Amino acid sequence: MTPVSVPWTDVNSEVAVVSAWHVPDRSMVRGGEALVDVETSKALLEVEAEVDGFVLQLVPAGGEVSVGEPVALLFDDEASMVAHLESRAKEADVPRETREGVADESRATAKARARAHELGIDLASVTAAGLITVRDVEAAAGSSPSATAPSEPGSPLPGDAATQRLLLIGAGLGATQVADILAETPGQTAIGIIDDDPAFWGRDVRGIPVIGGSEQIATLWERSAMDAVVVTISTSVTARSRFRELCGAAGIPLANVIDLRAKVASGVRMGLGNVICAFVQLGTECQIGDNNFFSAYNSFEHHNVLGSDISTGPGCMTSGEVHIGDRVRLGMAVMVEPKITIGADSVVASGSVIVRSVPPSHAVKTKVITTVVVPMRDPGSGS
Amino acid sequence: MMLVKELNAALGRLLTDDPRVVLMGEDIADPYGGAFKVTRGLSSVAPERVLTTPVSEGAIVGMAAGLAMSGYRPIVEIMFADFLSLTFDQVMNHITKYPAMYDGKVTCPVIIRSPSGGHRGYGPTHSQSPEKHFLGLPGLTVVAASPYHDPHATLRSLLLRDDPVLLVEHKLLYAEALTTAVGGRIGAALAREESSAGRLPSVLMSWVPPEDCSVTVVAYGYSALIAARVLEQLAMEEEVFGELVVPAEIAPLDTSPISASLRRTRSLIAIEEGTEGWSWGSEIAQRMSVEAFGQLRRPIDVLASASSIIPSSREREREVLVTQSDMRQRIRAAAG
Repeated sequence: MTPVSVPWTDVNSEVAVVSAWHVPDRSMVRGGEALVDVETSKALLEVEAEVDGFVLQLVPAGGEVSVGEPVALLFDDEASMVAHLESRAKEADVPRETREGVADESRATAKARARAHELGIDLASVTAAGLITVRDVEAAAGSSPSATAPSEPGSPLPGDAATQRLLLIGAGLGATQVADILAETPGQTAIGIIDDDPAFWGRDVRGIPVIGGSEQIATLWERSAMDAVVVTISTSVTARSRFRELCGAAGIPLANVIDLRAKVASGVRMGLGNVICAFVQLGTECQIGDNNFFSAYNSFEHHNVLGSDISTGPGCMTSGEVHIGDRVRLGMAVMVEPKITIGADSVVASGSVIVRSVPPSHAVKTKVITTVVVPMRDPGSGS
Repeated sequence: MMLVKELNAALGRLLTDDPRVVLMGEDIADPYGGAFKVTRGLSSVAPERVLTTPVSEGAIVGMAAGLAMSGYRPIVEIMFADFLSLTFDQVMNHITKYPAMYDGKVTCPVIIRSPSGGHRGYGPTHSQSPEKHFLGLPGLTVVAASPYHDPHATLRSLLLRDDPVLLVEHKLLYAEALTTAVGGRIGAALAREESSAGRLPSVLMSWVPPEDCSVTVVAYGYSALIAARVLEQLAMEEEVFGELVVPAEIAPLDTSPISASLRRTRSLIAIEEGTEGWSWGSEIAQRMSVEAFGQLRRPIDVLASASSIIPSSREREREVLVTQSDMRQRIRAAAG
């Protein structure tokens, strides 16, 4: 099929009027023959057929056509013209509901469509004021029983009543670290993991079952199925603080989980809910708040005062009398000089050496030391 | 209906309803009906009040000034906004000054309509958006046609006032459908109108409820249409949500709809097709940074066309004018 377009001859004309057809509709035209006359605001133009073909007129004589748009279609033979006409008629016959169904699908964002597929949610059942977003899909999943169908949450382990039975929050990689510590800690056992992402439900982390979303916390506490909660999420201090507050409001205690190889010096005072990984040193008379996540090889020197909901990467080291506020995030290998204060909600980039205090809600950036990776020299050509 | 037909119908109704209305301009009468066919057929509606004039923009607007002071409501068409420069003396030194110079005894309500804008390969002197040179003239109201404002309502409320008005109509909008807010929506977007008393409304559009948006985009005319497309794409493809504010009256500017949106999003980008610097966007940036200082998440951004002539080659023209991909990149950044 070859479209015949109205040529663009002058800048002032947006449309042309078809003044006369030289070839009747649905009949044969030879390439090079005059097909149709169109009139723009400046000129009368004769449009030729570029190739041989069956003519399908798209605009009747006297009708208007936009400049650059096709005024006719040329088909190799009559059969292909008939096929084209039939498919066009079929398109017009598509029932209204079907078209609206398509429109519904397009009312959801790409991410929402993917999430709905993941959760087995029918988008037609999701309501939203504007476009359907991931949040709307997840809200619908929370209230829809069919949402849990792809992965049924498991049930908690009974636990050993002689130990502290812990419910872990977060089924990501932080949970594997906590599970490792607990495997060597005689007084504590994990009975289950909570995660709001249904993709984790029904799975397990080191044999600890993922048993559902955060609405389960209060239920398990009421059923006395656990004694305390540990937040294993290390990547988001906001999430850490949110779950601490949620447990606090429900009167559910948090528990410290401390690797056997951590060194806790004399006079250290510590709150609850801290995850302290291997080879961490907490120096003499440090004061530590609640719900912090300290990665391996952190060393907090004597008389540090650390807030709550802090998360650190491995290898951070402070000197004496350092203060770190709530919800601070340290990258890896951050070094802090003595008597420095890092204000609440601040973020420190990996490898920073902090030589002066950081006010609250500030980011500490540092010079990036670039590692250049190049292919090795061909050993054969070297000598 | 296409905006060109809406405008044509609106002008036709004004001619019929209001005997004071006179249309003037080069080649606006039939059979030519104006370069963009906005006035097609109107010379048969009111032949004595649709006047094809000689090719002298200064004279046309000067005559309109005289008619306006004699109680008529002239609506002048300047064939391309690029030629507005030829009317500048009449506008700056006469039309906007007469009411004060004659101690309030006269009014001079001339409306000048003009197709503006590029993307058609019309070259350096038929593609510009020169309205920035008229912004801030004391006594002049500058209005921009958009696909979201009914031109009949706009023109009718302008006729109720006595201000001289420049109405710019981006030429690519003529072939676009008029889509005003119906039932709180324009297409997939939530839409509503907001205005201060006595001002033309701004249209606000968002693809999720406004309180979930993280950037305010302010744009007028054709840029508003493209910004709306970009915001819909960003919403659908990336879940980046912005609120679009489309004023009709671009000067003097009713800032209250912009402020209200900015309080929600705390980030603002102004977009215009005119050349960068000393512009509509830079005026908005200045005023909003005073008003919202301390609440902004990031500096206010202004996206405008390059400070350059507009080349005739379509490819080279694209390098100069604000494009859809420029908008996408800068709106995404402003939403971060």
